[in-house]
Amino acid sequence: MRFAYEFDWSVLWRHPYGIWILKGLLVTIEVGLLAWIIALILGIFIGTLRITTWRWMRFLGTAYVELFRNIPFIVQLFFWFYAGPMLFGEKLAHQINRIPDLNFYVAIIGLGLYTASRVAEHVRAGFASISRDQYQAVLSTGMTQVQMYRYVIIPYALRIIIPPLTTEFLTIFKNSSVAMTIGLAELTFQSYRIDAVTFHGLEATTGAMFIYLFLGLSVVKFMGLIEKKYKIKGMVGR
Amino acid sequence: MIEIKNVSKWFGDFQVLKNINEVIRQNQTVVVCGPSGSGKSTLLRCINGLEPFQQGEIIVGGVKVNDPKTNIYKLRQKIGMVFQRFELYPHMTALQNITLAPIKVLKLSKKEAEERAMKLLERVGIPEKANEYPANLSGGQQQRVAIARALAMEPEYMLFDEPTSALDPEMIKEVLDVMIDLAKEGMTMLCVTHEMGFAREVADEILFMDYGQIVERGTYEEFFKNPKTERAKDFISHILH
Amino acid sequence: MFDAVFRNFSFLMGGLLITFKLAACALAGGIPLGILVGLGRISKNKWIYYPVTYYVNFIRNIPLILVIFWFYFVMPIITGSSIDPFPSAVVSFIVFEATYFGEIFRAGYQSISKDLVNAAFATGLTYSQTVRYITVPIAFRRMMPSLITQSIVTLQDTSLAFVIGLPELVRRASIVDNLEVRSIQLFGFVAITFFIICYTGSKISRYYEEKVRKANIL
Repeated sequence: MRFAYEFDWSVLWRHPYGIWILKGLLVTIEVGLLAWIIALILGIFIGTLRITTWRWMRFLGTAYVELFRNIPFIVQLFFWFYAGPMLFGEKLAHQINRIPDLNFYVAIIGLGLYTASRVAEHVRAGFASISRDQYQAVLSTGMTQVQMYRYVIIPYALRIIIPPLTTEFLTIFKNSSVAMTIGLAELTFQSYRIDAVTFHGLEATTGAMFIYLFLGLSVVKFMGLIEKKYKIKGMVGR
Repeated sequence: MIEIKNVSKWFGDFQVLKNINEVIRQNQTVVVCGPSGSGKSTLLRCINGLEPFQQGEIIVGGVKVNDPKTNIYKLRQKIGMVFQRFELYPHMTALQNITLAPIKVLKLSKKEAEERAMKLLERVGIPEKANEYPANLSGGQQQRVAIARALAMEPEYMLFDEPTSALDPEMIKEVLDVMIDLAKEGMTMLCVTHEMGFAREVADEILFMDYGQIVERGTYEEFFKNPKTERAKDFISHILH
Repeated sequence: MFDAVFRNFSFLMGGLLITFKLAACALAGGIPLGILVGLGRISKNKWIYYPVTYYVNFIRNIPLILVIFWFYFVMPIITGSSIDPFPSAVVSFIVFEATYFGEIFRAGYQSISKDLVNAAFATGLTYSQTVRYITVPIAFRRMMPSLITQSIVTLQDTSLAFVIGLPELVRRASIVDNLEVRSIQLFGFVAITFFIICYTGSKISRYYEEKVRKANIL
């Protein structure tokens, strides 16, 4: 029975907890950014596969997206972390499991692969929202296929998909918290760890919430600047 | 001259064009009308090779469209096209829309292309909109920019695919006026449209298409005063209310 | 191949049942709360609009795991009794998912054009008739695909209750894995199970999407 709860907000800055939180934030940002690079490159590639005229490529792209979207991220992470090394065979698995900070790398790869499926979907939808007549209009002026993509279709599609990609970029930092379940000492992990030592998890998690909020708002601000620079002027609601 | 000889086209099992024959001479304006789904737009897209067809041949200015050896990109430079929904590039200003192909395809300098574009914008009556983005233009203005974009390649032929059917009534006239001027200046044009005032003023020939076939052809007088088929009579009574 | 799965099949299926129970509770609370949130987001009363908007924007910027922990820590303080992870997990899911459902409902309400409502009034329908026969059915049909998709996401999200020790499917698989060390088949099995359920759901969602699209064109 804990009717009277004594708040102790100093767990957010007191030594060593303040350092824990800062370190956690750093890991969250590192994992998020590195996974984002994988997600962006792979996602654009897979999204493009899905709009090619080659059926097998389209199937491959669709299969990837469906697979990664319909399995909870935590399950994917567990699979990569616990089962992943064994996929390389008994001998190699032992060596892989000895890699220091293995969970850090698995988190980046797992989060990157997962987010790539979501990026791919936005890329596909972006291209799909350009009408067939629009493609034909470009060709009717005598441009080649390459010129059509280079000067009209890709710049246009990129501008359409920047807003949803902003949301995805935000989500990647939030999703990185799931990596605490494989022992990655990121922000959520650290706030939980503070609870384990001080029993003041409420203050620690509340503090962490505001740090995530601040991180999110900074990303929105930053992406807003990019968006403003590349926006299709006069276009609303995209 | 555009020669269409025995052209047939299928979408899967469905035949959209059935044995189409037609010759459009230099400086002529031909109007194509007919119910929706009759194959008018498809025929237009076959002429500049945007749609393939399985039988027959189309020859534009002596060049065979459906010859694999033909440089289709080169051919398309001579054939301008205007679409129902304008299809302007939404991320570029009116001026950039017009100058893109001249710069990238004809390799004009930016300055030359812009001079050409400004002349065209004046011709279609909206030079003051040069730096506006499409979303800030009315439908009629967008369509006039689209016409200018096509004309910027200095085409010998123009294809219009229902250029006024997505427009509010008060904007139709401003687009038709531009088209009428073009026809009178001697542009060779093929227009899919139901604007019969336009047809009466400039059409040398009217084609009536139904179920992928040209079922009637003739001058404005012949077609309206003396339609031969029931389908055409029906159609005329519908568009004249 | 799946020997460890077969040996512990009923244990794992019991976990799946808890997963479903969690999802059902989350939806039963999250959707009604989402309707209120959606209404709040289009409210013209600023005393309603701003608090609701702040709530939505706050929650949407925070990882679900953290919300789960937060309620896990806060519940005993409120109730004064010792920690039971199930109700605290359900509350976190309701609070979290309601913000996502709320945005779907908001978009649904806003997709109804003013003229459509006016047209209904013009035929003599009363306000409540218009809402009942025109607005709600149309909005509901348009929202159907997103509602199904979000329900699938909710089901996937319940697996995060793992972190407070709730014995749902993922937790049970990892318990078995700790004993038997059969990671490939155990987590493979969990992945396949989720995939079958969620893929079926997404197909249904797409079916409705197609239906809506056709209805809008014709």
